[in-house]
Amino acid sequence: MSFLLPKLTSKREVDQAIKSVAEKVLVLRFGRDNDAVCLQLDDILAKTAHDLSKMAVIYLVDVNSVPVYTQYFDISYIPSTVFFFNGQHMKVDYGSPDHTKFVGSFKTKQDFIDLIEVIYRGAMRGKLIVRSPIDPNNIPKYDLLYQGI
Amino acid sequence: RPEHRRQTARFWRENRAEAALRERCLVPAEEYERFAQALERALAEHQRREEERILQMAAEIREAERRQRETVQAALQKYCSFFLNRTQLQTEPELRAGPSVCRHPPGPERDSPCAAEQPGPSGMQTGPDLAWMESGQVLTFIGHQETEGKGNIHTGAKPPWLTEEEDGSKQQIGPSYEEFLKHSEQ
Repeated sequence: MSFLLPKLTSKREVDQAIKSVAEKVLVLRFGRDNDAVCLQLDDILAKTAHDLSKMAVIYLVDVNSVPVYTQYFDISYIPSTVFFFNGQHMKVDYGSPDHTKFVGSFKTKQDFIDLIEVIYRGAMRGKLIVRSPIDPNNIPKYDLLYQGI
Repeated sequence: RPEHRRQTARFWRENRAEAALRERCLVPAEEYERFAQALERALAEHQRREEERILQMAAEIREAERRQRETVQAALQKYCSFFLNRTQLQTEPELRAGPSVCRHPPGPERDSPCAAEQPGPSGMQTGPDLAWMESGQVLTFIGHQETEGKGNIHTGAKPPWLTEEEDGSKQQIGPSYEEFLKHSEQ
């Protein structure tokens, strides 16, 4: 039983989502619908969305349609997933160089579910940054280049 | 030049040096000009040389990195094929035929290949190593995000959801004036 994840197509819609989703983790997947790794990730998101519906709201965002956000979050690799709670951007230490977003896909649905739970619990306690429960071996590796350095 | 002459005279008087030497110390205007130009040229030359040196170092570093990457990838190839052969013999049910098990992650070198060197087959050994290889996803790179000075999350810039959008529409709260008039006429 999967369902189609809702999409946000403009800055206004993304602003709206961030400002209006309350008491649940907001998950924004930045990527492209036809990209291979994005498809993998979207599959995991779609299959877990129902079970996580009490804790999380998931949206897909095409990086081409919201350049403001793509630039703000410095999204160089797709898919990149950003988490919010009550309008606050949630950072997560995955053991990778960038805590502001999750780059790549999750290895299993359970990894994603565990991550959402940790973010949810941390946020309810007022934390703005949490430690990822995912095995560092399962975190995708990538080169972090900041402005070509 | 007059200014220069005066200064020299004053310096001579203050330090009571030999008057004869003073004339020899005066720098004529053309000499000074020549000196200034030569200085500019020398400076430009120096800067150019420094730039070249830096570019050279950068190229060398890139080259070294490339060689390192290739060595790692070559090593990975060997380990990948080694484990593939082993697991095919063991036919583990959890082995996913996912997208190309032998992806080469574009990241820095890691110590995980060394873990595979332990002798003796055991069910536990193959599990974690395969997991690592499978999460070596090839991610699509969409380019460096140039913000033209606006800043981004790493520099602490104002987030887009807090910046007002100029969309040209007047945002009125409540009923419009016409609707109010209509309502009061009722």
